[in-house]
Formats: sequence, C-alpha cells, structure tokens
Amino acid sequence: MEPGKRRTKDDTWKADDLRKYLWAAQSAGPKEDKKHREKQPQKDLETDLPECREHRRRDPERDARCRDRAAEREKPHRLQDQDQDRHRDRRKDTRSRDREKPKEGHREQATAEKAPSRGKEREKGGHRARRDGLRQAAGCHNLLGWDAQGQPPDRPERRTQAVSKARPEEREPKGEEPEGGDEERERRYRERKNGEHRSRGAGSKKDETGSQHAENSGRNNGRDKDSRRKHGREEGALEWKLARRRGSEEAVEIGKEDADSENAGAGEHTAGFEDDFEDYEDDFEVCDGDEDSGLDALESAEMAEELPPARRREIEEIRKAIHAENERVGELSLKLLESPGQVERGRGAGPGANNSPSQTPVCGILVDFATASHRQKSRTQALKQKMRSTKLLRLIDLDFSFTFSLLDLPPVNEYDMYIRSFGKKNTKQAYVQCNEDHVERDVQTEEVETREVWTQHPGESAAVSGGSDRGSPGGAAVVPKVDTPRLCSFLRAACQVIAVLLEEDRVAAEPSWPPRAQDCTLPLSDGSVPFNTGLLFLQNRRVTCVHASQAQRRIVVSVHGLPGKASAPLLDSRHLLCVWDIWQPSGPQKVLLCESEVTCCCFSPCKAFLLFAGTAHGSVLVWDLREDARIHCSLKLSGCSWTFRTSTFSTDGVLTSVNHRSPLRAIEPVSASVCKRQSCVLSPFSAPEETSGLSFHIASLDESGVLNVWVRRPHARAWSVLSDPFSGQWSMLSSSELCAAEVFRLIPGGRIKLLHSTAVHLGGSLFHKGDEFWVSTQTLNVKFLPSDPDRFVVGTDMGLVCHGTRQERRVFPRLFRPQQQGVRPVRVNVVDFSPFGEPVFLAGCSDGSLRLHQLTAELPRLQWDHSTGGRAINGLHWSLTRPAMFLVWDDASCIYVWDLLESDLGPVAKQSVSPDRLVAMTVVGEAEKTRGSFLALVLARASGSVDVQYLRREWATPAGDERRRLRLLLQEAP
Amino acid sequence: MSVTASFSAVDGLPDTEKNPGESENTYILRPIFQQRFRPSVVKDCIHAVLKQELANAEYSPEEMPQLTKRLSENIKDKLKEMGFDRYKMVVQVVIGEQRGEGVFMAARCFWDADTDNCTHDIFMNDSLFCVVAAFGCFYY
Repeated sequence: MEPGKRRTKDDTWKADDLRKYLWAAQSAGPKEDKKHREKQPQKDLETDLPECREHRRRDPERDARCRDRAAEREKPHRLQDQDQDRHRDRRKDTRSRDREKPKEGHREQATAEKAPSRGKEREKGGHRARRDGLRQAAGCHNLLGWDAQGQPPDRPERRTQAVSKARPEEREPKGEEPEGGDEERERRYRERKNGEHRSRGAGSKKDETGSQHAENSGRNNGRDKDSRRKHGREEGALEWKLARRRGSEEAVEIGKEDADSENAGAGEHTAGFEDDFEDYEDDFEVCDGDEDSGLDALESAEMAEELPPARRREIEEIRKAIHAENERVGELSLKLLESPGQVERGRGAGPGANNSPSQTPVCGILVDFATASHRQKSRTQALKQKMRSTKLLRLIDLDFSFTFSLLDLPPVNEYDMYIRSFGKKNTKQAYVQCNEDHVERDVQTEEVETREVWTQHPGESAAVSGGSDRGSPGGAAVVPKVDTPRLCSFLRAACQVIAVLLEEDRVAAEPSWPPRAQDCTLPLSDGSVPFNTGLLFLQNRRVTCVHASQAQRRIVVSVHGLPGKASAPLLDSRHLLCVWDIWQPSGPQKVLLCESEVTCCCFSPCKAFLLFAGTAHGSVLVWDLREDARIHCSLKLSGCSWTFRTSTFSTDGVLTSVNHRSPLRAIEPVSASVCKRQSCVLSPFSAPEETSGLSFHIASLDESGVLNVWVRRPHARAWSVLSDPFSGQWSMLSSSELCAAEVFRLIPGGRIKLLHSTAVHLGGSLFHKGDEFWVSTQTLNVKFLPSDPDRFVVGTDMGLVCHGTRQERRVFPRLFRPQQQGVRPVRVNVVDFSPFGEPVFLAGCSDGSLRLHQLTAELPRLQWDHSTGGRAINGLHWSLTRPAMFLVWDDASCIYVWDLLESDLGPVAKQSVSPDRLVAMTVVGEAEKTRGSFLALVLARASGSVDVQYLRREWATPAGDERRRLRLLLQEAP
Repeated sequence: MSVTASFSAVDGLPDTEKNPGESENTYILRPIFQQRFRPSVVKDCIHAVLKQELANAEYSPEEMPQLTKRLSENIKDKLKEMGFDRYKMVVQVVIGEQRGEGVFMAARCFWDADTDNCTHDIFMNDSLFCVVAAFGCFYY
C-alpha cells in the first residue's frame, strides 16, 4: 500500500495528507468481505463514496480492470464450474490486457463519447454474439483457471485497485458501449423494479447476475476482439500462475483474498457509479421499452438505494434472512459432507484464514457464508471507526513529537572493561565512611585551628594582649568539671598534711635548731617540742596565757603581752595572740592583734575557727580565723610575710549599757546543744551553723560578778565600713549610736559579730543579802557544767565556789564551801570539771588547798590542804586521757601529777620547772584514740618561750576500767 | 535483545456510537485532568515493577523473551489499573545484555501532544539493561 509514498514523506505530514492516507487505509477494510458483498446495507455503500472519489484520479490506468472485477463480483457463486472458469479466465484476460494497453481504454472512451446512444442496442447484440464465441474459446484453458484465477500477481496494489474501481466503471462503459446505454438500462430497471423487485427477491437476482455476468464478459471479450493474439500469451501466464500456486499455499490464500477484495470493491463501484452518474441521467431522455429483463443484483441494490427507507429496510431483512438460511445450509452440509478435520479447519479458519475454500472447493462455498458474517461485522466496525476518525480529525491536530532518547548507553572502552573485570582483583575494602553529609558546611574537613596574633609595633585591637583565648577546646572542657569547693577543701587538708611533713623534715634536718630542746625535756615527759617564739615580733614578749581548743586538741593559742623593748614599730603597742598547731611548732598558724591586754581567751567549741578573748578593758573580741588574709594587714618581717589579724568584732564602745565595766576574768563557750531552747528565743537570726550543731554562746565574766552571755551572729558583708585596723579606739561612740557602732566595730569584710544575750549579776543571785562578806567579793573564774550548760560554778576570792544558773533559778547547793568553817580570804584560782562527765570538779585555791567537790554536796568530797606545801595553786587541769588523773602547778613553778587511783593522798609525781619559771600551762591531748593517745603540757615560761612536753605513756594511756574505779573511789571516800 | 510490546485497547465504543440512529457523538477532546496520563506516576509504577522483577535478574537468552512479555503485560495491567480513562496504552520492553556495547534507543511519536504522552524507565545491572517505554494515546 503505497510504500514508496510513505517513505518519501517527511515529518511534516499535513492533516489533509493524513486524512487521505487514513481513508486509503480504511478502504482496505473491505478486502475482507467476500462474495456476499451485495447483501451489505446501502448505508455502507454510501460511506464508501468519498474514497472512491479520492482515488479515481490517481489510478486511471486500472479503471478497466476494476470494472471487470466489479462485473465478476456480480457473478453468482453457484454457477457451473465451467462458467466460473470461463469467467475467471476472462477476468485475467482483461486484466492483462488493461495493463498492456492502457491507452486503448482512452481511445475507446473517446469513441464512446462520440457514439450516439441510438447504436446501443445494436452494439449490445454484437456483444453477446462475441461473448458467446469467446466463451467457447476461453473455455479450453479455463478448466485450469478456476484455481489459477485466485492468484493475481498484483497483491500490493490489490486494495488500491479495489477502491479505485468506480472510475473505470464510469469510463469503460462509455468506451465499449454508448454511455447512455448503461444509463438507460439502469433507469429502466429501476422503474420497472419499483413494481416488481419485492416479488422477485433473491432468486431472480441470481438469475439476473448470471445474465449480467454473461453480458459483461461478453462485453469485455468483445473489446478484446482486436487483440486476440494476447490469448496465447495469457495462457503462458496462467501456466506460470498455476505452477506458483502449487508451490505455495500462501499464494492461494492471498489469491482468495484478492477475490474477496474484488467483491468488496464491487459494492463501492456500484455506489460510485450510481452517484456520479446522476448528472447524466438528466441529460439522457431514454425510453424504457427495450430494456432486457436481465438485470444484475448490483443494479437492484442501486435501485434499493433510491427506495424509501421502509423498503430499504425490507430489502435488508430479506437479505439477512437469505444469509441466515445460507449459513444454516452451509453448516449442515459441512457437517454432512466434510470430514471432521475439514470441518474443523473450515470452522476455525475465521475471517483471516480463507484457505479452506480453495482446498475443498465444494465446501468452500458454504464456509464463505459462515465467515461472511464476521467480515460484515468487522467491516461495520471499521466503518464506524473510520467515520469517527473522519469527524475527529477535523477537530484535532496531530503532530510529531520530538525524538525521545530512551536509552543512550555508550560503548565501554577497553580500559574500563579491563578495570571492570580485572581492576578489582587484589583489592579489598579497607575503609567505610558512613557519616551523614554535613550539608550546611562548605568545606567538609577538620576545623582549622586559628589563632590571632599581632605582629606590628603600634598595637591595635585585642589581639595585642593575647586576644580571645579560646584555642584549646580540650582545656575548656575539663576546667568546668572541677568541683571548686571540693578541690579547695582537699587542698586545704592536703596543705596541712604537707606542711606538717615539711615541718618534720625540717626538724629532722636541723637537730640543733632548738638549742635547749633536750634540756627542756622534763623528767615527766618523753619528749618536748618548743614553739618557735624567737620570731621577731614575739621576741621580748611575755606570755600571759595559753589555752587549748576543746574541739581540736592540737590547736593552742598563746597570748603575748607588750614587748619589753621595741622591735617592730607598728606592733609594739599591741598585744599579740598566736595560734599554734603543736605539730608545726616552727611558727604560729595565725597571728592576731589586740589593742588591749587580753586576760582570757577561748576557742569556739566545735571547730576552732573562732577565737574569743576578753580584755582588761572589759571588752570581748572575736577573731574569725577563716577570714581571707587580704583584708588584714600584712607585714614583712625578717624575710617572711606575716598577716596580723585584727579582731573581727569587738564589743569595745558598744552595748555600753550591758557591757562589762571591769576587767574580764574568764570567758567560756557555752555548748549549743543545751542552750538551744534559749537561743531560739534570744536570737531570731538563726544561722545554718546553729542548726547544724555549731550554735553556741559565749559567756564572759568580769571581776564585778557580771556574767554576760553573747550570741554570735553572722553578718552580711554589706555592712562593711572602711576603717584602718590600726587606727585608735572607737570608744567615743555613744550608746545611742548602737547600731552604727556595731557596724563600726566590725572589720570590713567581717562576717561575725556578737549580740548581747543575757546578763547575770552574780552579786544578787548567788549570795544572800545577809552575807556580810559580799561587798568586796571578786569573782575569779567561771565554769559551766558539761552536762548542763545552764548551770555554772564561779570561783570567788572568799574561798567559796558559787553555784548558779543563767535563769537565776535556785539550785542546790548554793555554795561549795571548803571543809574549814568560816570565811577566809582565799582565792579560788582554778575550777575545772572532769572532762569525762563525772559530776565532780576540782577547785584550786591560793592557800594551796585542793578540793574535789561533788555537785550534790556543799562540802568537798576530798580536800588536800598541803599537797603543794602551802604554795598557791595557779593552774589545775584534768587529764584529757585518764579520768582519774589531773595536773596541778603552783606559783613555785612546780608541776604535780595526781593519780587518784594510785594514791588519793598526794600527787604521784612532782616536777619543778626551773630555772625558767612557769607562767602558764595548759593541757592538750587526744583521748579518743587509745592507741595513739597522747597527753602533753604546753608550758609558757617566764622568758617568753613556749614548749610542749609530752607526758610519759603511763600517764597518757588510760587503764581499763578507770572510770568505774574512780566512781567507786568517790563513793567510798569519807 | 528481546522486544515485546503490549497493547491495550479501550473498552469499546461509547454507547451512542453503537446506536446508528443517533448522530450525537461522545467525543472527549481532552481527558479529565485527574485521568490525564502523568509520566511521573507511570514512571514510578514502571520503576517499581522493574525493581521487583529484575532485582536479581541475570541475562539468559532463553528466558528473556518470556521475561519481556511478562514485564510488558505486568506493566500494562498495572497502568490500566491506574485509571487513565480512555487511554490506550502501549508498553514496550527491551532487555539487552550488557557486554560493553553501545546502545542507542529512540522513540518518536505521531500524536496529539495535548493528550498523549509517554515515559520510559531504565533498569540496569551488571548483566543486562532493560528499557521500558510506555505510551499513552488518548481515545477521544
């Protein structure tokens, strides 16, 4: 189907061309129709018209042959074999002739136009005669031709021929017989048939087609009369065709198809014929009389086309009925006549496979009916689609898409192929990077370490001074994790240990450092360590007092008086207090400054970070030893820097209404646990330390018998006032400026101050009004009961020890008297309670008498009047490690060691300290650890030196049931 | 190389065309927007089928014709289920062996560009390549 044309076309198909092309393609549909084409509805014929017109111009040379085929189609299929043979033979003749002599048609056409219609009849008659003759002539080789005719050589052109039949049909008749002749015949037929065609039906049609066929063949052959020589040649062609048919089955099939298409073309031909010649009908006025009765079925169909729709429908029904009948007959005969295989083949052939009729000629006729319905249906379908496409193509435009590149796979070059097949040998995966891509980073490498440095002379920006030092992320990450308070506490503890170790090393390295060290060791002691009182600021100062902390037994404070000769100008007018650690005798831990003479001092009971002191001026001073050294004055003395701490708070000049007016005789811490019920009332400012057991009161006693109780109170730093720690007194402050004075008495940066809690006037409470001796009585010291801090005993200068409470309740006994009756001017210099909880206390008097009192009795349990030989007892201390032992020293610098379990009649040991007279003594010791317990005496000499004497182990180490035996002793004592 | 094409026709003519008495037609010149042939969706569909079917495929000349047929039918059925109404689908599957040769495939369509469309997808592994082209032609 026009393959050349298609090839030459470009992308730029126009819509018109496409339509033509599609029409041509659609017209191929009828090829499948068979010889029952005449039963096709008239409507289909009409739709065929456009294509017929289209192709009429293109294929003029094939006109003749097409017409011949049209004629052949009209031939009934059930003609005698001979007739068929003859007919087909004739058709072949015609076809070959047409090809050979296309011009002949034209010439004939021209003559036909000139020929008058009058000669029609005559010519027709001639035709018949010639046809008969020819039929006999052709019959001889048509015996073969029944099959051979099915193989036209022009298969590719087949469809085109079929669709282009109308044109030749319109011309050829003009050539052969006068044009008007056909027309007249048609008209006559139509008119006549209007009346009769219904009654004639299909049967007459067959007859008519038979005659028509004869007529047509005769006509054609007549046209060939002058070219008779061709027959010889055609016979040769037939021979060839036959041979070819035998050779290939396919050829037969196609030949059959060819025949079908010819039949299909016939319908179109007739329609085109009818349509195109309507004009001519008007031109020729033809009389009807001489019309022969042999009209073909084609013409009857044409007639029907002009009939009213009702009749058309009737005809259609009749045709369908005939068709159905034929089918039934065909099936029946197939079953009867054919073998089962043949039936199956014929049945299964369908519309596409038409080989069965050619192979079994008898049955083939019947099968044609069966397949015809399929063809008709498919044709109907095709026509519908064609119509649809025709309408649609008017509405849409088709175009060529650009070329999609579905796959572009470049050839692999040799190297890649080699690498693909061999490149991975001897390799293994060594590393996998599986991190997510860091998309927001431009450069995905390690961060570059940078540091800003300034190199030019006139410095600019911060880089000159080092810039922002953020370069070490590792250090920055570690530092914040340090727990600073914990580190500080660790360092503090570690520093002490290290300092002690260093101290010991130094002592070991300089055995000759204290020149008198060995000399000083008393016979009582295993060894002695002198404090380094040779420091510049301690030279020429008398020690007036030494005191040991109750909580931390190795902390000792020594009070140094004014120096005998000036050494340091700033310090000369001030008293000094030195806090020592007995393990570090090389120097004092802290050095405290005081304006006035300190008469007594004590540490805070639980932790020795507070030091309280009473002065001869009647003031109470507080040092907070935790204070930073920077808020205190620092002096460089003999190559060493010393910090001299002024008191954190002083009651000088404040609280004048309640303050002491006499020199203080004693100052004592009052343990917190029992005082709590009062402190809750008295001090609303409860500090965390108070609730955690660090709460305590300070009691200070002056000579006039006034006992003041002070409450320690933390103070906010905001209350700081600048003041020169070395400036003078603040005593000019009046009582009305109490608050301001309180502030002024606080050192800048200090956090501790004292509030006055209660004042107990012992003169009124302890003594009877009637006591005549009270007028001049002095109170010398005070001790609070360890078991009941509310109660205290006060030593007086009348040989009596008063018993009182802070609430001024009556207690029994009111007084502890010596065994001697009467009042004597004997000063009770020392009162000391047993540190082991025994309800006993010792009182040492100036007449050398020593009394052991029980709290429940007025008279002493034991009294030794001559143990010191009449020397006044200056100091008395219970042992800290042994309950039944105490130490006494008198003003003759003699130390007595008492052991009540060993002897309750006198001291077990006596040691005179000479030539350096003893001026003060205290006892330090660790009783908690029996294995490592020690007992040491801290002795202050008149020369100003202080040394530690470690007592022998038999006095330091307690016996097994010492307390029980002491208790028994106390009960059995007379 | 194995080539198979599958065609799918639409269900049939509209009812009105079956009735010769009526001249009303039911042409739809443009598909409904939701039912338009969407290349991306089709491509996803094809891709899914290819991944599933050819996950561990090795080229063998004997099996490829069946494989291409199965693939094309499979894809065509899937496309028909996707509701491209009034679309005629053409699915072409080409499977070739990977031997390092160069291959170029192209397609060109004569169609109504407003309604028709096509898409294609490629699957490759070490032994074969598979090209699937799907064309959707609108049936007015």
